[in-house]
Amino acid sequence: MANLIIKIKKFFAMIGKSIKTFFWNVRRILNNFKKRVGNFLDRHHINPAGKAPGWAKALIYLSPALVVLAVFTFWPIINSFALVVYENYNMTNNTITGYTIFGNFIRVLTDESFIVPASHTGSSAVINTLIIVFISVPISIFLALAISVALNSIKPLKGFFQTIYFLPYVTNTIAIGLVFAYMFKTDGGLVNQFLKIFGVNVTGLSWVESNAVYWRSMFVLIFYSIWSALAFKIMVFLTSIQGIDKQYYQAAAIDATPKGRIFSKITVPLISPMIFYITVTSVIGAFKIYNAIVALFGVAGAPPGVRYNLQSIVMYIYQFIDGSNAGNLSVAAAASLILFAIILVLTIVQMQVSKKRVHY
Amino acid sequence: MDKQLFQKSKKIEKITFIFDLLAIVTYIALFLILFNLLELPPVINGRMNLDILQFMTPTYEFLGSNLDKWQMNSIISILVIFMVVAVPMFVINVKKNNTRTIYEIDSYVATSKFVQAMINVLSFNFISTGLRIYNTFVLIKFVKGYNAKEFFKSIPGAIRAKIAKMKEKKVVIDEENLDSYSASLKKSIRRQTTVHVFRLFGTYLFLVTMALIIIIPFYWMVLTSLKDFTGATTNNPEFFIGISRWNWVNYKVVLTALNFGVYIKNTVIVAVFSTIGTIFTTVLAAYAFARIEFKGREVLFSILIMTMMIPGELYIITNFITVSRNGLGWVGMPTGQNQYFLAMIIPFVTSISYIFFLRQNFKQIPESLYKAARVDGCSDFKYLTRVMVPIASPTIFTITILNVFSSWNAYIWPRIITGVGGVEGQQYWLISNALRDTAFVQESGRVMYNLQIAASALVTVPLLIVFFAFRKYIMNGIGRSGTKG
Repeated sequence: MANLIIKIKKFFAMIGKSIKTFFWNVRRILNNFKKRVGNFLDRHHINPAGKAPGWAKALIYLSPALVVLAVFTFWPIINSFALVVYENYNMTNNTITGYTIFGNFIRVLTDESFIVPASHTGSSAVINTLIIVFISVPISIFLALAISVALNSIKPLKGFFQTIYFLPYVTNTIAIGLVFAYMFKTDGGLVNQFLKIFGVNVTGLSWVESNAVYWRSMFVLIFYSIWSALAFKIMVFLTSIQGIDKQYYQAAAIDATPKGRIFSKITVPLISPMIFYITVTSVIGAFKIYNAIVALFGVAGAPPGVRYNLQSIVMYIYQFIDGSNAGNLSVAAAASLILFAIILVLTIVQMQVSKKRVHY
Repeated sequence: MDKQLFQKSKKIEKITFIFDLLAIVTYIALFLILFNLLELPPVINGRMNLDILQFMTPTYEFLGSNLDKWQMNSIISILVIFMVVAVPMFVINVKKNNTRTIYEIDSYVATSKFVQAMINVLSFNFISTGLRIYNTFVLIKFVKGYNAKEFFKSIPGAIRAKIAKMKEKKVVIDEENLDSYSASLKKSIRRQTTVHVFRLFGTYLFLVTMALIIIIPFYWMVLTSLKDFTGATTNNPEFFIGISRWNWVNYKVVLTALNFGVYIKNTVIVAVFSTIGTIFTTVLAAYAFARIEFKGREVLFSILIMTMMIPGELYIITNFITVSRNGLGWVGMPTGQNQYFLAMIIPFVTSISYIFFLRQNFKQIPESLYKAARVDGCSDFKYLTRVMVPIASPTIFTITILNVFSSWNAYIWPRIITGVGGVEGQQYWLISNALRDTAFVQESGRVMYNLQIAASALVTVPLLIVFFAFRKYIMNGIGRSGTKG
C-alpha cells in the first residue's frame, strides 16, 4: 500500500516536473529571442522606448478602452444631436425627409402622455416620474438615515442586520418585481392577507391587477423602489457615520446631551455632504426608473384593462425603439436629450452646493 | 500552552474535512440523481402539458425501493437542507482552521466543535461526528488540562458552584439610611437605566421590523416556488408547508421545459466575457491615467468623467443603430447571420466609472515604488502586472463582482437586441428578459405563479450565493465607491 502511494506521488511529481520544464523552456526561448532583438537594436543604435513620447506609450494602454468608448459612448453623444435635427428618420433604409431644429423637441413636449396627460389614460410620463421622485426619494433617505443611525448604536447582531439590509442590492430587479407583483395579488396575495388581520375588506382590493386604481398601483411602485433603493443608502450612510470622529460623541456624552440633539447637531451636519450626494444621485436614479415598472406592470406600464398609465420618462423613450411607436428614433433622441438636460441641471446644482461645503 | 495538542487538534480537524467534503459531494450527487429522476408532464404538440403537473403521482424506483411523490419530495428537501447547512459550515471551518493561531483557542472553540458534531449527527455524517467529539476532548485538554474522565467528573462540581452562586443573596443597600444626595443619584441612575433599556428595545424593534420587510419577499419567493399550482393561487395561502409538499419538480420544469437552462447559459456567457473585457480595458486605461505622463491627460480624463453624467438612454438609441443592419450588422439581419452575443457583450467591455474607481486606487500606490522598479529595469507593463495589479486586487475583484451583477441584471439592451430577432432572438434571451417575457401559462391561459416565482428564485439564488461568499469585498466596495463621490 505504502509502495503504491509512493509510486502515485512519484507519478504526479513527474507530471508536475515535465509541465514545469516545458514552461521554463518556453521562457528560455522567449528570453533568447528578446536578447537577440535587443542585440540587434543595440547594434543599429535604435532605442524605441527612449524616443517615443509619453502619449505614444499611453495610447497603447488606452487604445482598447478608447476604441470601445469611441464607438459606443462618444459617437452616440454626437449622433444624438444629429438625430434630433432629422425629420422622419427611417432606420431600416437610413433615409430622412428633411431637417428641423426644434421640430422633434416640440413633438415630444406637446405629445400626449409626455407632459400633457393623455386623454385616454389621464396620466403623463413626466407627472408620473415626478411623483415617484418626490415621494420615494425623501422617504428612502429618511428611512436609510434612521436605520443606519440605529445600526450604529447597537453592538450585538450589527453585522447580521447589516447583511440583511444589504440583500436587496444584490438581487435581480425583474425577479423581485415579479415576487412583489405576486405579493400584491388581489386574491390570496400576502399583503391582502395581512390587511385582513386588521379587518380591512379585501375582496376586490386590487393593487397591480385590472381593478386597481392609480394611487394603489403607484403605492406598490413606490414601495418597491424604496425597498430596492434602501440597501445602497444604508451602506453609504453607515460608512460615513462610522467615519465620524468619536471625540464629538464623547464630548456630547460628558455634557449629557439628549440623543435627539446628538443626532441633529452632530451626526447629520457631519455627514451632510454625503446626504446631499445621495440625494442628488437618488433623484437622478429615480428619474431614470424603468426596470421596476416593467417588472411590476409589464412593458405597457399599466395593469391590463385600466384607464391610467404609470409610464416614466425612460419608458416613454424606449417605446420609440421597441413598442407601439417603434422606429421614430429622432423623437426618442429628443426626449432623451430633455432627460439629459434635467440630469445636467441636477448635477450642476450638486457641484455648486458641495463646493460651498454643506456642513454647518 | 501545549503546542503538540494544538497541532494534534489541527490535524484531526484536517482529517474531518475530508469526510465533510465527502458528505457534501454525496449530498450533491444524490440531489442531482434524484432531481434527474423527477418526472415531467408529457409533451403534447411540442408543448408541455402544465395543467396536470400537480395531479401527477409518479412512483420512482431508487436503490431498490419504491418512492412515491411525497417521499421523493421529502428526500430532496432534506438533501437541500443538508447542503445549505454543510457547505457554509465547511467553508467557514476551512478558513478558520487555516488562520487560527494557538492564542485564539478558548473554551468557546471547544464548545462550538461540539455543536458542530451535533449538527453532523443530524446530517448523517457519523464519521465527522466522532472525529469532532474526539477533537472536542483534545481541545478541553488543551484549554483546561482535563482528561475526558476528569472533565466528566468536574461537571457536577461546576453545576453545584453555579447554583450556590445564584443562591447567594445580593447585598441590599438600605435605602432609608442613604442621605438625600445618594438617594437622588440612585434614582437618577435607575431612571437612566430604564430609559436606556426602553431605547434599546425600541431600536431593536425598529430594526427587526425593517429587516422583516426586507426579508419577507425572499421568504415568500422561496415558499411559493415550492408550492403547487393550487397552493400558489388559492385565496388563503399557507405560510409554512411541510417538506413532503416542497415541489422540486417546479424547478425542473422551469429549467428544461421553459428553457431557463439556455437563458442562464446565455447570461453566464455574456457576464464572463464582458467582465474579462472590462477588467482588461479598465486596468490598462486606469494605469495610463494614473502613471503615464502625457500631454492632455487631465483633459481626456475630465472629458471621460463628464460623459458619466449622460444617461444611458441616450447611448442606447444610437448604439441600436450602430449594431443593426446599417451599422455593424450584428442584429436585424436575416435569420442565421446575427451575432447576438457580440451585440450584447462588446458595448459593455469598458466602463468609465470603473476606470475612475481604479485610477483612484492606483494613484494611492506610492510613486517611489514605480521609480524603484524602473531602476531595477522593470518595464511599464511588467510593473503594472507584477506590482500594481496585486496591490489593487481587492478593487479589481470588487469590480469583477459588480460587473457580473450588472450583466445578470441587464434588461433593456438585451431586450432591444433580441426583440428585433423574433423567434431566433428568443434563443438569446438573458434571464431578465426571459423572466418578463416567458409566458408562464397553462393551456387554459391561467398564469402558473408557482413556476414564475420558481424562475425568479432560480435567478436570485446564485446572486445570493455569490453575495454571501464575497460579502466583505462587495460591502466594502460599495461603501468606498460611495464615499468617493
